[in-house]
Amino acid sequence: MADLELKSVRKAFGEVEVIHGVSLRIADGEFVVLVGPSGCGKSTLLRMIAGLEKVTEGDVLIDGDVVNDVTAAERGLAMVFQSYALYPHMSVYKNMAFGLENTRMDRVEIDRRVNRAAEMLRITPYLQRKPRALSGGQRQRVAIGRAIVRDPKIFLFDEPLSNLDAELRVTMRKELAGLHAELGGTMIYVTHDQIEAMTLADTIVVLRDGYVEQIGRPLELYNRPRNRFVAGFIGSPKMNLLDGHVAGSDGDTLTVMLAGEHTIPVPFAGGRAAPGDPVTLGIRPEHMSVVDGEDAPATIPVKVDLNEQLGGETYLYCTAAGLPQLTIHQPGQRRAQRGDALRLALETDQAHLFDGSGDALGHGRAAEHG
Amino acid sequence: MVDQTLDTPATLKSRAAEWAALPVRGVMRLLDWPMRLAQRIVGLGGMPYVFLLPNLIFFGTFVITPLIINFAFSLTGGPELFIEDRPFVGGEQYGFLFDCENALNVSTCREDRFWRGIYNTGTFVFFQVSLMILFSLITALVLNMKIRARGFFRSVFFFPVLLSPVVVALIWKWILLRDGLLNAFLTSIGLEKILFFVDPTWAMFWAVFVSIWAHMGFYTLIILAGLQAIPQDLYEAAQMDGTPRMRVFWRITLPLLWPNLLVVLVLSLIKGVQTFDEVYVLTGGGPGTATQFIVQYIYNTGFSNQVQNFGLAAAASMVLGTVLLVLTVIQLVVARRKGGI
Ligand SMILES: Nc1ncnc2c1ncn2[C@@H]1O[C@H](COP(=O)(O)OP(=O)(O)O)[C@@H](O)[C@H]1O
Ligand SMILES: [Mg+2]
Repeated sequence: MADLELKSVRKAFGEVEVIHGVSLRIADGEFVVLVGPSGCGKSTLLRMIAGLEKVTEGDVLIDGDVVNDVTAAERGLAMVFQSYALYPHMSVYKNMAFGLENTRMDRVEIDRRVNRAAEMLRITPYLQRKPRALSGGQRQRVAIGRAIVRDPKIFLFDEPLSNLDAELRVTMRKELAGLHAELGGTMIYVTHDQIEAMTLADTIVVLRDGYVEQIGRPLELYNRPRNRFVAGFIGSPKMNLLDGHVAGSDGDTLTVMLAGEHTIPVPFAGGRAAPGDPVTLGIRPEHMSVVDGEDAPATIPVKVDLNEQLGGETYLYCTAAGLPQLTIHQPGQRRAQRGDALRLALETDQAHLFDGSGDALGHGRAAEHG
Repeated sequence: MVDQTLDTPATLKSRAAEWAALPVRGVMRLLDWPMRLAQRIVGLGGMPYVFLLPNLIFFGTFVITPLIINFAFSLTGGPELFIEDRPFVGGEQYGFLFDCENALNVSTCREDRFWRGIYNTGTFVFFQVSLMILFSLITALVLNMKIRARGFFRSVFFFPVLLSPVVVALIWKWILLRDGLLNAFLTSIGLEKILFFVDPTWAMFWAVFVSIWAHMGFYTLIILAGLQAIPQDLYEAAQMDGTPRMRVFWRITLPLLWPNLLVVLVLSLIKGVQTFDEVYVLTGGGPGTATQFIVQYIYNTGFSNQVQNFGLAAAASMVLGTVLLVLTVIQLVVARRKGGI
């Protein structure tokens, strides 16, 4: 077990810099998820931590020691690869024992560790099988088992669930959470799937194009995204982002005129927005509701495009004059058909405001204290 | 109004494609009615055989028929060229080949040149195949690393494969002759000339060497392909575990490369047993019969000796053919097993 720190870490492949100075501190026993769209540099960052990729600039510290020039093996970390990277010609047992044999560990101890890990992961019946005789989920478990037996300082996972089908992914996600609770080790987990990030992480690091966009606990990121990108990336379905400009402000309320002449007053704590400034209003699908008829403040008249009824919840996709398609998430069942005219009320104390360059201006009162 | 077509690059391109398609369309039209006719005669189920027919005719004419004629010749005797003039002798030619007083001593055989050819071929194949696989493996391992000018070296090692065997032999003869390049070099650094083609051991050495030089590029390529098919992740996983290099090679690379190595082994055995042209041009089988291989024995017996003994040569060919058949069956089994992984 160990803590890890990155200090202004940069990585360039030839002329092209893909990681632009990432600083990060991970406490002992923490489950940290690096999340971001494909190609943003998650794997590269993880591989630099692992020692599989050299750091171009900056420092990687494990337990306070700079390990830039320490080999992957000597860093004492274990990695679970996206492809599982199981040795196809070795049995499951051999796969798990292979790394330990390098350390000249005694046979009895190897056997004990492999059997314990196998039991923990419920793969004991398959120990003598070759990887090709296993299902995807079982292979995944073997790959995790291979990491567990090493008793590493830090576990590294690179998109470990992305080769599994949706159902298995949910199961394995729960098992990983359980495993972290049981083992208590420091884990760094890379994924492009924000749901995995939200459900597994103690701390989420959102990456985009080699920059850290925000670091925080899952609900912190959800409630107080620092910019438009994080706001749009975290949460499913996505937050509605509506462009407009500031129409006026008085003390603790800011009036926003959205494209299409919809006026929305936002109770807004603190701010530097002046009338005329471009702003983006962010509102999550669950913070809008359908209201009856008359023209009230903070409401928008819309037409229904699509109604997805899941039984326990309903997703409405609507269009309003001048605005992109709006997604509304409602509990329960709702009768609405394509073409129906509705009026949506925005819970403005849950809204978010972003300035012209995408940085957060502030959040509605409820979001601010959420 | 006149419909004007502008000659933009796009329309030119599509027009070129139309022109290129013309001959194809022409051939298709030409083939159309015979194919329809064939289908009416043999039915839809018989069409695969119709498509196979050209290949079968070719294979039958140039492989099966000569094989049968050769077998017929091996059962006849005498110097006559045309089979209808030759007397039937049954298995006499085979008996002659295998007529030894002591099966363990080649010089007690009546046709000891045949056995010497087999013995020489065996020696040659043993060294050539084992050393060639070793060198190919080492070369492939090096070429698979991140080295400078990797593409250049890959082609350098493959170039000899493209040369005709006769050209290869002539190049090396030019180097190895009494007054060749190598001896010029030896004398220039104060050493004595070596008569490479007069010493039986040297002659065999150079036969093996030149043959390896000429063919290893091909096998290097097969092994290289095998190496590149091994996922990089496996090496990274091993690296995370701190696996020593040699252990990575013996426990990961070699087992995963094994199917490719088996293919290389069997293919090079088959080719090695058939070696003739390059060694024939290089050493002429000499000194004496030191580098005379089984194919050269067949050639000499059938065509270049004073008395041309077609029957005996045919019988020896059948023996060689049997050996090759066994090797080929092994190769097919290996290849199929490889596909099953
Ligand atoms: N070995 C490499 N050589 C050159 N470019 C690379 C290499 N590895 C990754 N990259 C580039 O770095 C960027 C980040 O890649 P990666 O870390 O794999 O992204 P992610 O894992 O977030 O999808 C990509 O633009 C990718 O093309
Ligand atoms: Mg990746």
